[in-house]
Amino acid sequence: MPLETESRAQIRALIAEFRPNHGDLLATLHRIQHEYGYLSREALEVVAEQLHLFAAQVYGAASYYEEFRFEPPAAVDIRWCSGPACRARNGGGIRDALLATLAVQMNGQTEDGRVGVRLGQCIGTCELAPQVWIEERASHTNEVVGNLNAAKAVRLARALRDGATAQEVLRG
Amino acid sequence: MASPLERYAELKTAADATYAGWRTPQRPRIDVAIDTSSLANGARATRDAIEANISERNAVVDLGRVHGYGMQWLHPLVTITFPDGASVVYGPVRAEHAALIVDIATGAKPATSTLAIGTIAGERAGIPSLREHPFFALEPKTGRRLIHRLGFTDPENLDHYIATGGYHAAARMLDRHQSPAQVRQELIDSALGGRGGGNFPAGTKWNFLATAPGEEHYVICNADEGDPGAWVNRVIMEGDPHLLIEGLIIAAYATGSKGGFIYIRDEYPLAIARMEQAVRQAQEAGLLGEGVFGTEMNFELRVIRGAGAYVCGEETGLISSIQDSRGMPRVKPPFPAGAGVFMKPSNVNNVETYANAPMVIEHGAQWYLEYGTERMRGTRLFSFSGDIQRVGFMEIPFGVPLGGVIEACGGMLPGLQLKAIQSGGPLGSMLPAREVPNLSMENAPFSALDALMGGGGIVFLSDRICTIHMAEMFTQFVEEESCGRCTTCHGGNQRQTEIIRRTIAGEGRHEDRHNLALIDRTLQFSNCVHGQFSPKIVRNTLRFFSDEYERHSAGRTCDALECEGLIRFRITNQGDPRLAEAQDICPVAAITGTPGRRTLDEAACIRCGACTDVAPNAIVREAKPATPRLVALS
Repeated sequence: MPLETESRAQIRALIAEFRPNHGDLLATLHRIQHEYGYLSREALEVVAEQLHLFAAQVYGAASYYEEFRFEPPAAVDIRWCSGPACRARNGGGIRDALLATLAVQMNGQTEDGRVGVRLGQCIGTCELAPQVWIEERASHTNEVVGNLNAAKAVRLARALRDGATAQEVLRG
Repeated sequence: MASPLERYAELKTAADATYAGWRTPQRPRIDVAIDTSSLANGARATRDAIEANISERNAVVDLGRVHGYGMQWLHPLVTITFPDGASVVYGPVRAEHAALIVDIATGAKPATSTLAIGTIAGERAGIPSLREHPFFALEPKTGRRLIHRLGFTDPENLDHYIATGGYHAAARMLDRHQSPAQVRQELIDSALGGRGGGNFPAGTKWNFLATAPGEEHYVICNADEGDPGAWVNRVIMEGDPHLLIEGLIIAAYATGSKGGFIYIRDEYPLAIARMEQAVRQAQEAGLLGEGVFGTEMNFELRVIRGAGAYVCGEETGLISSIQDSRGMPRVKPPFPAGAGVFMKPSNVNNVETYANAPMVIEHGAQWYLEYGTERMRGTRLFSFSGDIQRVGFMEIPFGVPLGGVIEACGGMLPGLQLKAIQSGGPLGSMLPAREVPNLSMENAPFSALDALMGGGGIVFLSDRICTIHMAEMFTQFVEEESCGRCTTCHGGNQRQTEIIRRTIAGEGRHEDRHNLALIDRTLQFSNCVHGQFSPKIVRNTLRFFSDEYERHSAGRTCDALECEGLIRFRITNQGDPRLAEAQDICPVAAITGTPGRRTLDEAACIRCGACTDVAPNAIVREAKPATPRLVALS
């Protein structure tokens, strides 16, 4: 067993309430990701100890899901809605414009870690199609920006890339 | 010891007092609709502005919360309830309307306003009843059944649920009015079918679990509503969370279950929060946990938050996901009633199915059978989106004509014609507009066309979309969401997506049609419905939009001008001053040159359309001229 370090003890305290064989894995991973923004190797090991699983099992399960990350997230993510109502209004063009503006792949982020683009799934606010959501890591906020077009998407991505905060972008 | 009905009466008396004060308040109250759609439209800013305005003017007005009514195109929605009990709905109410709304509430301004949509209670001269709005033309004339509380209660208030008849069905059932077998029989008599799309009789399914061996049974609620364009389960969880809990209590009693799970997709944070809160409230009131309603029944209910995996909507995938592992579907049998969560007998239904149980038990099967068709009984929630005038959700009896639905939704947006109807999500179907007269809102007419009505989401697509381009969205989706267990599914879907993408890139081949049919046949050998249904949309496209497909692959033409390989952007007016803006907006700097001498580099262009967004009169999106093709020498 690895040496108990301060960071491991912190993770352990964070997930102390979760039990083995109790259907707690998803909740445990969500708790850690909410706190740290991603699942570190160390965190996965502590989860495995807590839930009496092998670390490989924990990683195998966690990596199956779209939402769990294994690298620190961007400060702000532009979550691109991939749903049909958005797609019907040039959603594909908006995606390509966002990725090209930031020079990233889908689910990637800029080198300075400021902005990322992530694949989003329809949440049923299709009256605002086409849309993206602006997710700010520090404040855990998530705001919909609707009635977009490709040009607006480029402006939004450039503003975030050039240092605007999520709040400034949302007001603008 | 108090009987369940006595306990209920106690709760009801207290709840009635609370609710009466809310329904007929002493001071006028402004309720802002707080649900995912209303919030997305800016309800928080609206609420903050109204709150600030009230405190600034020291107005004698209260602020409350409701769930939206279904008219999502009019969000953010605000309801003003006056001391005489009249409630008027307004929308879309933005922050700048705060002063006006407060003025109306205090009576400083008349209730009639251009923002007024209708009354939901009482009367106000010059304002029609909301029920008269054409959007609700297809809803039951006697009023909503499943979602009758929306707009009339605060979804976060247990008292409101109880005061409006909630938990009475469960209390009466537990008061030995009905045995578990009688409850199941009532469900069978009502012919309530699974609302996930399969329409399998819920009562029969509950029988499987009730008669399964062992003491430890589980009821599982599938709230992993992953089909893009479907959000009806979200509406129930955000709008009336206790209804789902009561449905699960009934199911647990009827099947002898001591434990329950509600598995909610990660994309629904508000639904998760409201369900978790409602479970806590029910526990504190003695309606969940040990000794439900003071009886010997124990029922522990937990909310599980998913993490973004579509295939967890398949029941065995969902079960795997609950028990600490990858959410991969497995081979059936054994079915969940034999070996479900933790290998214990389990029953999986979706949110809407369980949510129907309280009214079946409260009003009886005969009452329930009043609406619907021979094969599909009752009413159901549908969400409608796409290029229609009115995007939202409604509760309609099964069997109403699809043409009527389009009318209720206000028809297509100006200048657009209906081209395709997309239903059933990525494993569903795409039907052409010409089939509308043959379609009604039940499974059979869809099945007859090799289509799927599905879980309640219908997307109306206009003639500005290309069906091949739209099909790519779904093929990519099913490819990415394949769990990877069956080679037929993960490999087959990769090939399917490849072919569709190649067609979009302008490189469709004659043999593609044959190969897609081959992939289709191969996918049928997958273990679960994900693989089996994944070629359906492409199959529909090939059948119903065959001409469009041929024009892409043989004719190298995309009439809707969407497919990237078959279109180009070209500068048509060098004199347009907006060209400078277009040059600036291009994310790949494909437009270069100086005023009057600008050029657009077709090779660099990614066809995102940003330039035509800013300079629609200077740059055109057009069909790419045909390039000479190699012809095989015979």
